[in-house]
Amino acid sequence: MVIFLLVALVLNGVAKGIDFGITPAMWINTILGNEVEFIEPLGMSDLLLSLHTDLFGLILIFILITALLIRTSRAKGFKITVLLLGITALLLYGIGLITSLWIGRVGVIFSWGGFLLFHLLMIGVALDVLILLSRKKF
Amino acid sequence: MHHQLLRILALLFIALVVLQSILGGTLFIVLAGWNPHDIVLYYSQKSLHGLIETLAPHTLFISIALMGTLHFLGFISTISEKQKQFFIHLLFGLFIVDQSSPIFINLGMAFFVYVKIIAFVGFESVLGWMWIVMFRESLSDFSLHR
Repeated sequence: MVIFLLVALVLNGVAKGIDFGITPAMWINTILGNEVEFIEPLGMSDLLLSLHTDLFGLILIFILITALLIRTSRAKGFKITVLLLGITALLLYGIGLITSLWIGRVGVIFSWGGFLLFHLLMIGVALDVLILLSRKKF
Repeated sequence: MHHQLLRILALLFIALVVLQSILGGTLFIVLAGWNPHDIVLYYSQKSLHGLIETLAPHTLFISIALMGTLHFLGFISTISEKQKQFFIHLLFGLFIVDQSSPIFINLGMAFFVYVKIIAFVGFESVLGWMWIVMFRESLSDFSLHR
């Protein structure tokens, strides 16, 4: 399951890279549009649909990975930090993207940061769980 | 210290589920509209495949989100076991009514739009009340020293 969740996280990251781009500037161009490059901004319904379906999958991945993490022998402080960071990153991703309709570039940059932080954190935790599992340290 | 952090964690998780609900609600209003007439028109034009495409992921997500939220009820002492069971059944029941109403609207039973609205508002209200019950208990000394 952990391997599948890792694959899901990587695929989600790749899909987002194709849809929105890799750098914050590419995300800004895709979401807010660019008159110079004749790029249309993303419509509100498209943005909402993309975010709603994306959060759905990411919350499930988060619940599954952290459900494994809390059963490991890691320190309680470490587990709570991971949980707090993970939820904050997801909130940053969602709120940043939706507020970009009003606050523009800053919202997109926050959203990009949240997305990146969440994926890196979850990949790190999933790998940690995988190593602990292989060493039977549950 | 850990109790405080866990309380913040619970609040953030609730915020995440609320955000997801607001996004879903806003998306619904953007696509279908505000008033019952527009909602009936929206569902009448949808195919059965389109309805199931929405129903399937919602059923999966709500089951997991409710399971995640409602298992905290096990630690609550301010309401009885019977009340807990009643609220859990009510939440799942309202959700089924809310999600299946579009199928009946699509089949020509337009009055189901009111059933859907009542079920949706009821679901959100009961869930909100459950969160308040859980949060109030988490603030009490009893739960902190258990």
